[in-house]
Amino acid sequence: MELDNVTRPVGQAQPLSDEDRRFLRELVETNRIEHHGRLSYMDIMFDLEHRYGNSLPGPVLGEVARLVGTSPAQLNGFVTFYTMLSTAPRGKHVVRVCTSGPCHVSGAPAILSSLRQLLGVGIGETTPDGEFTLEGSSCLGICGVSPALMIDDDAYGNLTPEDLPRILDTKRAGGAQ
Amino acid sequence: MKLFSTQIVVPVDSNSVLQGALEVKHVLEETIARFNLGSQVSVVETGALGIYDQGVVLAVFPDDVYYGGVKPVDVEEIVTEHLLKGRVVSRLVIDRNLSSRRLVEKETGLSQQKIVLRNAGLIDPQSIDEYIARDGYAALAKALAMQPGEVIQILTDSKLQGRGGAGFPTGLKWEMVAKEQSDEKYIVCNADEGEPGTFKDRLILEGDPHSIVEAMTIAGYATGAHVGIVYIRGEYFMSIARLKNAIKDATEYGLIVKDVMGTGFQFDIEVYRGGGAYVCGEEFALLESIENRRGEPRNKPPFPPQHGLFGKPTVVNNVETFANVPPILLNGSDWFKSFGTPSSAGTKVFSLSGDIVNRGIVEVPFGVTLRELVFDFGGGVKGGKHIGFIQTGGSAGTVLSDKYLDIPLDFASMKTNNVSIGSGVILVAGGDVPLLPFLAEVAHFFWHESCGKCTPCREGTLQIKAIMDSLVNRTADPASLQRLGTLLDLLSDTSFCGLGQAAPLAFESALRNFPEVFDRALAESHVPEACQEEA
Ligand SMILES: Cc1cc2nc3c(=O)[nH]c(=O)nc-3n(C[C@H](O)[C@H](O)[C@H](O)COP(=O)(O)O)c2cc1C
Ligand code: SF4
Ligand code: FES
Repeated sequence: MELDNVTRPVGQAQPLSDEDRRFLRELVETNRIEHHGRLSYMDIMFDLEHRYGNSLPGPVLGEVARLVGTSPAQLNGFVTFYTMLSTAPRGKHVVRVCTSGPCHVSGAPAILSSLRQLLGVGIGETTPDGEFTLEGSSCLGICGVSPALMIDDDAYGNLTPEDLPRILDTKRAGGAQ
Repeated sequence: MKLFSTQIVVPVDSNSVLQGALEVKHVLEETIARFNLGSQVSVVETGALGIYDQGVVLAVFPDDVYYGGVKPVDVEEIVTEHLLKGRVVSRLVIDRNLSSRRLVEKETGLSQQKIVLRNAGLIDPQSIDEYIARDGYAALAKALAMQPGEVIQILTDSKLQGRGGAGFPTGLKWEMVAKEQSDEKYIVCNADEGEPGTFKDRLILEGDPHSIVEAMTIAGYATGAHVGIVYIRGEYFMSIARLKNAIKDATEYGLIVKDVMGTGFQFDIEVYRGGGAYVCGEEFALLESIENRRGEPRNKPPFPPQHGLFGKPTVVNNVETFANVPPILLNGSDWFKSFGTPSSAGTKVFSLSGDIVNRGIVEVPFGVTLRELVFDFGGGVKGGKHIGFIQTGGSAGTVLSDKYLDIPLDFASMKTNNVSIGSGVILVAGGDVPLLPFLAEVAHFFWHESCGKCTPCREGTLQIKAIMDSLVNRTADPASLQRLGTLLDLLSDTSFCGLGQAAPLAFESALRNFPEVFDRALAESHVPEACQEEA
């Protein structure tokens, strides 16, 4: 299915298709069953990000708020609190570079500045071709192989600046590692 | 069951996968088949061994040989030399001393004491049968045969204290929940593990997920709760998958959910994921997050045991705390108290990171010194450098000089010596790591993670960050250290939750232990003209 119609900035978002509505209804119901009648908004949001290109478009959130029985403002408050979620459009791949203490000591600043140079963007920005969004992150819990980063669901450790072009290239080509 | 003469154990966890463990395992299986060894040699996948700087590790039993840094191209040599000819491939062997100290329970004097990590790296975490074969679910069976009050009494006698940072007595916490009259109660496992430098809960969840399922069910029985929720940080994909798998298998075996072990007791366990917010490790913020709200802490008191999840009595315990429970029930409180020190029973799992030769996880009795952790287990500072500073306890912990190396680490000495243990972070920085940029990063961390609910923390972390940046850039004004001191006091005295209250620790301890670094930065500072006019 063509997803681009919903991954633009919120202001230009188009109304949801019937297919979107059906998907959202099923997503919420499955979640409710999994959590014994309760809901986990977080799980729902992660699934939405997978479907809508790493961000949460306004119309989708509006419909989800209705389905889970809360207000759009409350849901918006929820999603803007958590750093793994984004209402702003992001690139195809989200690069999260750990900057916390242990990674800092083993060379995170050099990794971050190399990435800025390689991608030509700053933290929080997306490359013009829409491939990568660069984000700084707090500890990712893989300090045993610091300095570390994650791209989407894949973790990379023991990094040197020289490793980065290869990692970005394989991601760009659609591979995992 | 098939009998194999040789067993090769491959630890597979998030860290070793990064280093190519799955590839090595695949090639190993292929090569063994190619040499027709399939009936004699078995390849077993296990959880993390807690050793990270040796690349992919293979352990060969019963020979007790450990290979490190194994690449797919090395596999054939191991098979033809070691397995076929019985000649150990010495160029790949890891220091035996090291391997016996860090990898397996050995009788040597300096060995780790594995209570929490008793199974990690030894069993296949995806196999409930292997867990059961190592006394798994025996503690639950024992508990179910006792009165709930007796279970709690054993825990209270054991003096087990919370391993999530605050060190609250676990038995007392359970008793408070057990005493509450309520038809709904909850057992929550805090697996948010966000303290920078901590990666031990991940190892437990990936290496021994059933121990958490078993312990939470015991907690449910002891306190009268029927629902358990594990809140795991969102990035821990493998932990989440293995825990869900464990819950599924235990359910099928009739060990949890309906009619636990035929006793009529019911206990469900569910997994909730975190969304990348450090403050959600704080127990009330965590409960808010499970309730689908922003992770902002609540007022205390009332505490979670009285008014927790959905307003009901709730036990919140750390992963490591839970992992201690089954062995305590099986072996008794006196056994547990035989490890550690008078103020602190049992062991602590430490995460070693930074400029240290052997980064990884060690479990040792309380009372261990930093020197033992850094040099004996950690192998010393990388490149033979001297120690610049050590941060213990995490970003919300103390920055120490090498004068602290011989202080025993336990709950009592934390207070008397101003040394944090927190979640067990030992972050070593070599002498060439500048302290102030590091502290500026710590300040950035707290500013970024402050939830913004209360003013001292929201505004204070921003101010601390600005002062630290000005010290790094040598643009600090002469009064900045004084202002920093005032801010730190203000945050620890008036912040609403533990995040703001503990944020000053790193800066206070650095000021105390490295005053000359701050003084020099101040002496070298020039206040930019634009700012002088403003002031
Ligand atoms: C900012 C902040 C972050 C925390 N993060 C964690 C955490 O990641 N894991 C954890 O178990 N406890 C964390 N805690 C401590 C919890 O609030 C709580 O004390 C603990 O989960 C209780 O379990 P225990 O008694 O088993 O230690 C944190 C506390 C604060 C103030
Ligand atoms: S101390 Fe910080 S994290 Fe805690 S409530 Fe206040 S603003 Fe939020
Ligand atoms: S500090 Fe970078 S992963 Fe923990």
